[in-house]
Amino acid sequence: MQKFIQHDMLPRPDHDEQARQDFVSSLRGHLSGRVMPGAYRVYQSRVEPAFKAQHGRIPADQEEVRQVMTKDSYYQFWSAMQRRSQEMLWEAVIDPTERQLPQLIGRAGKLSNRKLAKGRRGSLRLDPALQVPRYHTAADIHLQPGGYHTDFTADDVAAGVVYDQGINLYMGGALGPENNLTGDTLLAYIQEKHPDFKPRRILDIGCAIGNATLVWARAFPQAEVHGIDVGAPVLRYAHARAQAFGVPVHFSQQNAEHTDFEAGSFDLVISHIVLHETSKSALVRILRECHRLLRPGGLMLHLEIPRGKTVIEKFMHNWESYNNNETFCRYMTDIDLKAEALKGGFTDANTRTDEFIPHMDVAQMNYTEHFFWKILAATR
Amino acid sequence: MQTPPDRPKGHRPYYFDDPAIDQLHAAFIALATELSVAFDRIDTLERLLEARGDLSREDIDGYVAEGAVDEARAARRADLSKRLLKPFIDYREALFERSRDR
Repeated sequence: MQKFIQHDMLPRPDHDEQARQDFVSSLRGHLSGRVMPGAYRVYQSRVEPAFKAQHGRIPADQEEVRQVMTKDSYYQFWSAMQRRSQEMLWEAVIDPTERQLPQLIGRAGKLSNRKLAKGRRGSLRLDPALQVPRYHTAADIHLQPGGYHTDFTADDVAAGVVYDQGINLYMGGALGPENNLTGDTLLAYIQEKHPDFKPRRILDIGCAIGNATLVWARAFPQAEVHGIDVGAPVLRYAHARAQAFGVPVHFSQQNAEHTDFEAGSFDLVISHIVLHETSKSALVRILRECHRLLRPGGLMLHLEIPRGKTVIEKFMHNWESYNNNETFCRYMTDIDLKAEALKGGFTDANTRTDEFIPHMDVAQMNYTEHFFWKILAATR
Repeated sequence: MQTPPDRPKGHRPYYFDDPAIDQLHAAFIALATELSVAFDRIDTLERLLEARGDLSREDIDGYVAEGAVDEARAARRADLSKRLLKPFIDYREALFERSRDR
């Protein structure tokens, strides 16, 4: 596995901070590779049989699985470990970030003014008046303290710095040297399904630190690439990070439910594991906005995580909903993304959902050994 | 400007029948982490010392920490306690938050 790439916007952990990050990464790999699969085994070997003995049938849905699995000692043990490892993952990267924050903010300011090759440059447009939606503010998504949207000091970049390092540890480095895996996956999809598609204007919604956005900007260097998010500190970091990598991207603080871009002004609108962090009503509004922003013939692609097929898989996939502050994701299990896209204005003939097999190490998967991405694709 | 929070906002789940087990469990993992950190540091030191070849085992056994060194070690021990006890504090704060919401 290629090592996480260092750049000017990442703090330098000291010896013990590095050791703490290394341990949490190792612990999570152990949990996903060796402990989590046991939850499926105990379900099959003792939880489901006990349910069957009592009710004369197997659990009908994930809610019935929840009733019995949460009482199983093995599941409790794994869950407590998994939860604590998630908290420690943030704690391990927050320490060096806070220690070096003034320098990081200073570097972000300098990088922001850097001219890139061929006279190109990226930009950052923040909107202090933007109302951060409740699905962000109600709970800190993924347990990152303060969430992705809170400024704790002037020109704060901490949430972005912490997020970048944290998601690297989350998958034990399996997200790639620049946390580029989700971007690579969706790019592989478009190259397979739409090999001749050459977008000139691309919008990445819910881009956070722009880790996936940069994949697209590099793949289509002639295109004008935009990334939007509701979080100011992640966007400041995204801009500085893109500048550090020398990739021109235009970041702006906007809610994907209603942007200020012109109708029909994009060839491609994409998102990477974002939809499940929103809400039922926001989801339709976001899809409607995607429809508005696309030119006729333009393409919308949303990468989503699988939600499971069997009742135990569905239950396990929703672990993060109940234990990792992904409040909305449990409702995604029964949502038909294609039907939502039709509500947003796309046509039945031009909309589909696909399963896409990733090129990744299944030993790093946290909740299942059988992973495939879900992709919502629609043409305007 | 506010101080960054020490724990995430949102529901704090319990997994075991007795919340004390949740807290002990979490503290145990924090302790394992710090042990791993210490092992790494000892390993770094031993390798550096070995490479230089100018220190014996007797030197280490005979060493007495005094003054600033002693203070630095005390601070390190306090930091370990803080990390060890953090889970208890987090669960306690969640209890306070729940009682405030009522």
